[in-house]
Amino acid sequence: MSERRTLESALSGSTLTGPSSAINYRPVAVMPDVKVVKIGGQSILDRGRAALFPILEEVIAARKLGIQVVLLAGGGTRARHIYSIASELEIPTGVVATLGKYIPMQNARMLQMLLAKHGGIYMLPDDFEKLPLYLQLGCIPVMSGMPPFGYWEKHEEGSRIPPHRTDSGVFLSAEFLGARRAIFIKDEDGLYTDDPKKNPSATHIPRTTVKELAARALPDLVVERVVLEYMPRARWCKELQIVNGLKPGQVLAALKGEDVGTLITA
Amino acid sequence: MTIVGGDGRTHISSQLMRESLQDRDVLARTDSDRDFHIFPDVSLVSIGGQSIFDRGKVAILPLVDELVQIKADKKLKLVIGVGGGTRVRHTMSIALDLGLPVGGVAQLVGAMEELNAILLNTLLAPHGSMPLQREHFWDLPLYFDAGITPIAISVPPYHFWEPPPEEGHVPMHGSDFGLFQLAEVLSMKQLIFVKDEDGLYNKDPKRHKDAQLISKITLDDLMKDLPQENILDLQLFHAWKSAKNLRRVQIVNGLVPGQLARALKGEDVGTVIIKENVR
Repeated sequence: MSERRTLESALSGSTLTGPSSAINYRPVAVMPDVKVVKIGGQSILDRGRAALFPILEEVIAARKLGIQVVLLAGGGTRARHIYSIASELEIPTGVVATLGKYIPMQNARMLQMLLAKHGGIYMLPDDFEKLPLYLQLGCIPVMSGMPPFGYWEKHEEGSRIPPHRTDSGVFLSAEFLGARRAIFIKDEDGLYTDDPKKNPSATHIPRTTVKELAARALPDLVVERVVLEYMPRARWCKELQIVNGLKPGQVLAALKGEDVGTLITA
Repeated sequence: MTIVGGDGRTHISSQLMRESLQDRDVLARTDSDRDFHIFPDVSLVSIGGQSIFDRGKVAILPLVDELVQIKADKKLKLVIGVGGGTRVRHTMSIALDLGLPVGGVAQLVGAMEELNAILLNTLLAPHGSMPLQREHFWDLPLYFDAGITPIAISVPPYHFWEPPPEEGHVPMHGSDFGLFQLAEVLSMKQLIFVKDEDGLYNKDPKRHKDAQLISKITLDDLMKDLPQENILDLQLFHAWKSAKNLRRVQIVNGLVPGQLARALKGEDVGTVIIKENVR
């Protein structure tokens, strides 16, 4: 019988199923200076103009200072609505993840329209390679936070909701670009000892680690679980910063690199 | 549906309104032990890159002939996927030597299996085949009615967003996983991998003379001692473990004429892995 015709390479004998020790891997950061920023769906966009406009002013101010910003949009209440109906219908997770792409996409388009006169550019996942052009031109690229997994999103036991949503997309974008920190703009100062919307004596946590969060084994979390699972083994993105977009000055401070809000490190 | 305000945010009433989608109890309310089944009578066949295509004409043409005979049964609903083989490994070794991030590697590799898809489609086109665009599953009923065999894209679209691997620097979500996920989300009847071995062994039969073939096994039993030198991506088994729909994965030898045809008829040739308690 014939032979496999193999191209000689460090991995040619590999099954690609285990660890690869054959290569001395010295990673290169793609665009490490870019600030990867999520604008929350439920926390910001569903509040409309009152919450969003001041945040955009600060993003524009940062851009004018020469800070390179990429905005990624979250979903919010419309995502929850379609997830709820799809769950009743027992729609597979991969289809639910595909449905979940549309709302962050709408939100990203809204952001683009508002930022257009300041260089707002809407990007699809396939446009990701054009990022250097947009940033060198001084633009503010805007895209959906949802990663493009869609029908290929895995089912996670105990949930029909896709485990990779817009937090994951933001973290994974930062990781690919080689950015150390991903910034999440929400409607709270970050982490608290308890839910501040329900318990007024809850106190703010300025800094914590993925390990500490895991040790608490909370039934609820501030970011998607997979992000905390991935961070310790990430190559570049080792910090998540959660800032309060409703407090004037926080977004600009975060974009300047200041440690406002809560920092979660791995 | 009602629009709800009052906390500065505008909500639409739903079971998940105002809820944290990280809350385990909230998430549990969305799940059930079954999914709506989309294409339960469709079989997905994966043709190996290294194992078949890299062997060239002698391995490819007999398999094309077998596929043409299989296609004579008009009731059989078949989707084909292909692997990329040695060119994928070459791409990865260059890309990793250059220090490209894992998402960059994931973005690159799909092009190499696409070459095999074009080759296969060229050979099958006279008998009715077409490349299936990325997410065009909803066209499948049309393809089957017209007697066309679609050739699907195997690599999943994780691309730049490939998660950091558990070990090493190679993307975790390769073409075996991609085809598994396609069969799972569309709740297909079975997934058959055509390779150059008689099935799955407890260790790599190309390296160990005493390797033993696993003929029929449940996924639960296989997971107790999952062969680390595996003919399939390990990610496939991990994803299958928490999946709901796919019942049967089979691995057959594409160098032995007739094995694929027998597998498609439901015969237990090669290795048959069954996930119990689905459907």
